[in-house]
Amino acid sequence: MSGAHLLASYRHVDSGVRRAPAGLKLAATLLFVIALALVPAGHVAWNLPGLVLVVVLARVARIPLVAFVSRVAIAEPFVLGVAVVALFQAGGLPIFTAIVLKSTACVAAVQLLAHTTAFPEILSALARAGLPTSLIWTLALLHRYLFVLVDETRRMQRARAARTSRGGRIALWKGQASVVAVSFVRSLARAERIYAAMLARGWS
Amino acid sequence: MVVIEAPPAPPAVPAIELCAVSFHFDDGTPALADVSLHVAQGERVALVGPNGAGKSTLLLHLVGLLPETGRGHGEGDVILFGERLRPDTLHAARRHVGILFQDPDDQLFCATVGEDVAFGPQQLGLRGEALDERVAAALAKVGLADFEDRAPHRLSGGEKKRVALAGVLACEPRVLVFDEPTSGLDPRSRRQLIALVEGLAATCVIATHDLALVAEICARTLVLDAGRLVADGPTRALLRDDARMRAHGLETPRLDLPPRLLEDGEPGEPPPRTV
Repeated sequence: MSGAHLLASYRHVDSGVRRAPAGLKLAATLLFVIALALVPAGHVAWNLPGLVLVVVLARVARIPLVAFVSRVAIAEPFVLGVAVVALFQAGGLPIFTAIVLKSTACVAAVQLLAHTTAFPEILSALARAGLPTSLIWTLALLHRYLFVLVDETRRMQRARAARTSRGGRIALWKGQASVVAVSFVRSLARAERIYAAMLARGWS
Repeated sequence: MVVIEAPPAPPAVPAIELCAVSFHFDDGTPALADVSLHVAQGERVALVGPNGAGKSTLLLHLVGLLPETGRGHGEGDVILFGERLRPDTLHAARRHVGILFQDPDDQLFCATVGEDVAFGPQQLGLRGEALDERVAAALAKVGLADFEDRAPHRLSGGEKKRVALAGVLACEPRVLVFDEPTSGLDPRSRRQLIALVEGLAATCVIATHDLALVAEICARTLVLDAGRLVADGPTRALLRDDARMRAHGLETPRLDLPPRLLEDGEPGEPPPRTV
């Protein structure tokens, strides 16, 4: 799996959804999530229109379906992991289905927001909504360094692959584990350097 | 004719003074040993030495990031414009000193280029139009006038470095400290950076392995080895002292190509092809 579409962004694709104000989209997404959460447990089918609405909007926003579905699919193991617990109780199947539908629709709605709104716009909308500055800074740094971390991990994987002529699955997993460990240590060291750079420019 | 003599100007306070500065990291690794030096206002000084000599550690002292961030223990005084750095004067002192870090990804932590350049001036209290003007001016200075809305992770290495420099220049520091400013830059970006540094009125301390750069823009050079200041003097004399340079893991830059390379090429070698 190349994984390229997992980080790809379709924010540059012009559409009505893209042009809508970030604050409006943020509020709509939040309302959507709350509304879905409030759908009564006995009415599983009521969740379906929500999911359909998000998919239709994603089409209107001209986001490639494969990219959209594969990003939503990343969250599915977690959704299923939680939902599967419901199957162990009597009459658990409707609850299982409801959890899967609700969560998938919510994840898809957040994806739609992320695909059609630049992150700085979301942040400024959050700031206008009165979110604490420290939380906004944390989100901003998280977004900024996600790309650096992914790049660094890719470089490490490439370097490891360049020195691996052959090896079974176990060797591969061992290699991956050390990449994860080193990424973690490097992230810590980088966090210290970023903090130093912030202090140097007057952060207090 | 009556000659009115101006009263002698008072000797200017040095921009930077280090008095017997020593530092070791928490794990016991020594980094600086008894370093004392002066840098006059407006002077441009190079700081050279092998890897691990303590150059970056020394630079962090100039911004008061060490030992204050608590990663080790230090002794001695750092004095900026006559004022000793103490925990309570740190913030005031950081207004005077800007540092360009080696890895621009450490320095560009905001979501857009414009926000990042604005970060420093914002901390200084600038708002509104004055802030916008400061950001635009700093970006124009590094030749990236319309980059304000770009995301840092989508820039090339050279562009990142220039944005990082714009972020420092926007604070209008009186002292600029560079850690490996030319590493990873292509010849054109390197040339632009050199032109920029030469046009600055600020006092500059440049830690680098790029000795050709040192020869070009710094009249004075400090050599650091194993945490000790082992030489301090005019760049040209130092660079010509081959034995001393080699003793500290350095090499006099060959500014001219060897004659063999300037000839027409090896016999039988085809000339370069234009494609």
